[in-house]
Amino acid sequence: MKKLAENKPPPKKRGTVKIIEERCKGCWYCISYCPTKVLVVSPKLNEKGYHPPELKEDPPNKVCIACHLCELFCPDFALIVEEIK
Amino acid sequence: MSEKKKTTMEILREKVEELLRTDRLPHVWCPGCGIGIVLNAFLRAFIRAKMDPNKLVVVSGIGCTGRTAGYVNVDSFHTTHGRAIPFATGIKFARPELNVVVFSGDGDLFAIGGNHFINAARRNHDILVIAVNNFTYGMTGGQHGPTTPTGAYTTTTPYGNPDRPFNIPHLAISLGVPYVARWTTYHLMQLQNSIYTALHRKGFRVIEIISQCPTVYGRRNEMKNPLDMMEYFRKFSIRKDDATAEEMELTYNGKIVVGVFRDVQGIPTYEERYEELLRRAQK
Amino acid sequence: MKPGYYFWSGDIAVAEGAIFAGCRFYAGYPITPSSEIAERMALRLPQVGGKFIEMEDEIGSIAAIIGASWAGEKAMTATSGPGISLMNENIGLAVMTEVPIVVVNAMRGAPSTGLPTLVSQGDFMQARWGSHGSYEIISYYPDSVQETFDLMLDAFNSAERYRVPVMFLLDAMLAHMYEKIYVPPEDSVERVERKRPTKPPGEQLIYEADEDLIPPMPRIGDGYKIHASGLTHNEKGYPELTPQAQERLVRRLNEKIRKHQEKIWKVEEYRTEDADVIVVAMGSNARAVRTAVDAARNEGIKAGLLRPITIWPFPYKYIEKYSVDYIVAEINYGQIYHVVREYADNKVELLPKMGGELHTPQEILHALRRYKK
Ligand SMILES: Cc1ncc(C[n+]2csc(CCOP(=O)(O)OP(=O)(O)O)c2C)c(N)n1
Ligand code: SF4
Ligand SMILES: [Mg+2]
Repeated sequence: MKKLAENKPPPKKRGTVKIIEERCKGCWYCISYCPTKVLVVSPKLNEKGYHPPELKEDPPNKVCIACHLCELFCPDFALIVEEIK
Repeated sequence: MSEKKKTTMEILREKVEELLRTDRLPHVWCPGCGIGIVLNAFLRAFIRAKMDPNKLVVVSGIGCTGRTAGYVNVDSFHTTHGRAIPFATGIKFARPELNVVVFSGDGDLFAIGGNHFINAARRNHDILVIAVNNFTYGMTGGQHGPTTPTGAYTTTTPYGNPDRPFNIPHLAISLGVPYVARWTTYHLMQLQNSIYTALHRKGFRVIEIISQCPTVYGRRNEMKNPLDMMEYFRKFSIRKDDATAEEMELTYNGKIVVGVFRDVQGIPTYEERYEELLRRAQK
Repeated sequence: MKPGYYFWSGDIAVAEGAIFAGCRFYAGYPITPSSEIAERMALRLPQVGGKFIEMEDEIGSIAAIIGASWAGEKAMTATSGPGISLMNENIGLAVMTEVPIVVVNAMRGAPSTGLPTLVSQGDFMQARWGSHGSYEIISYYPDSVQETFDLMLDAFNSAERYRVPVMFLLDAMLAHMYEKIYVPPEDSVERVERKRPTKPPGEQLIYEADEDLIPPMPRIGDGYKIHASGLTHNEKGYPELTPQAQERLVRRLNEKIRKHQEKIWKVEEYRTEDADVIVVAMGSNARAVRTAVDAARNEGIKAGLLRPITIWPFPYKYIEKYSVDYIVAEINYGQIYHVVREYADNKVELLPKMGGELHTPQEILHALRRYKK
């Protein structure tokens, strides 16, 4: 039955975030708005002197659910969310 | 090697790269500047609309937002301050088959270019206008402009702005603009969807995007860092498609009414009316 | 237009000459004494499938024709001094981004609103350097309705060939004066089209100049991913804000005109071969001078007329050619006079007039009599 199939919870997506560090300017919208808080400020500096984000995956709680929100928020085109599975 | 099938979102992200002049990145915009967010939304909407990038023309004026033309990997023009709309008018009128988008700032479009805006809107040229409103002249260091809220502090309103800002959606509606919307840079998907819809509409289409300029506006107006401005947009915006003119008005750090305020179809564009004129002239 | 004889004003000749030259896009804002050009274009362009638009002002007009030119059209606008003053910023944009356009200026009494319906020649320097920066531009100035028609072809051809805005000067007298003119057959002339890229998209750099210093011009919509900016840019068209990029670009923008100037020069030399004194005069004013030169010759004064038809780049070799005294008769308080002085060996006299009317032949003759040997 079609209706029932639609009501099924969406499959659990998992992803990872690729960071193009040299494009990042350290606004940290990604860190702030990630619903599962997988990104943290990296201690390292990029060429321009900004601290890019880095992944701090801490399963099962802090995992990237491939929602792509950080990709949309990033004003610098510095993030690429890759879906796993 | 077993390549996994790419998801729609992944493909979208790849195509965003293709539509950018990546050899020019990182771009000139400051940390947290909203212009990049708007550009990202625009590119995604354009990709989703499955339109031909070779027929897309992006025209910008001068300003931080005006630099957008320099980053899109399509025919793109960085013109003079205020003149993006008439420049785009020339392109569209000469070659109506082109998909012409003006991407510029509030000062460029509504102060120095205000006369062009109202007249192009009146003529209903088939042009999409992406108007990034950051309440200030970002490029020149944060002076007040035609959209700076009354009371706001800028480099030329050190005692607070005595001026009254334009109510852009109201202005556009009064000019008969067929598609009028306003979003903030926090409204990632609504903005993208709205641009997607507007790309499929005809005539003069205006989308105002309230955007953050943390560097020269935010820090003078109680929003020291990019996140403060984004939080302002998150907390203070309300969607109301049927908002009245009064409700659309923006006040100093006050609420921001967003939505699609007008979406009507069937109003003939200037280019269509001219086609008809050509037929009569050549009889 | 069918070949044959017509009775047209200078303004009509501008419009018809432009259409004859291949112009298919006009954007303008009315101003005396150029409004009839717009009116004629509004009537005629639709008949030939062209586009006419009346914009909200001159700034919009010139911006629109620059856009239309990138879209592939031969485009023009027409105005008078006040309108040129408004257009100047975008004339600079067209220079910097190398866009072929033709801008007509029917000169009227000035400064400011001046004498809207009366003649003047006060805009030579404005045509030269009205926009900010150091650049070369091409400017023509005819003296009859026939020459106006004929020269419009040169104006479009030069704009296309050198990728530069052409300032076509006219004056209030010429704009409104009617004369009999001949329109040649359509296929009797050469129409120049801008150089198109020879390389496919992706390989063609947008501002990669050839040996002639002129880059081929791609058209919007053909896949070249043009980027044009009024900022100092490199061969890719990308902003490059360095002294080196500025040196390369601005030098080339100037040199591409200077290198070809002798081909651009058009000059009328009237009874100059054996002259002792030559009057330099332009546009309508040269007509009175021609009469005066003949009268002077009858009195035994060896007078001649040198009429630059190309005003910019200034045809200075013609000044250098003669070791004579020069009189510069112009309807202003000395503009071309200073240029002539730069190249003349002997005395140069200025015969100015502030505007409103041309020199009379008597005034010129009176001046020439002082050179009687
Ligand atoms: C004719 C002219 N006047 C003034 C300037 C200086 N100027 C450059 S950008 C700008 C303001 C841009 O403001 P806006 O359009 O809001 O863009 P933003 O930088 O805020 O994105 C000004 C005044 C100019 N370039 N040209
Ligand atoms: S000055 Fe403001 S508008 Fe300009 S790039 Fe910086 S944050 Fe953006
Ligand atoms: Mg602004």
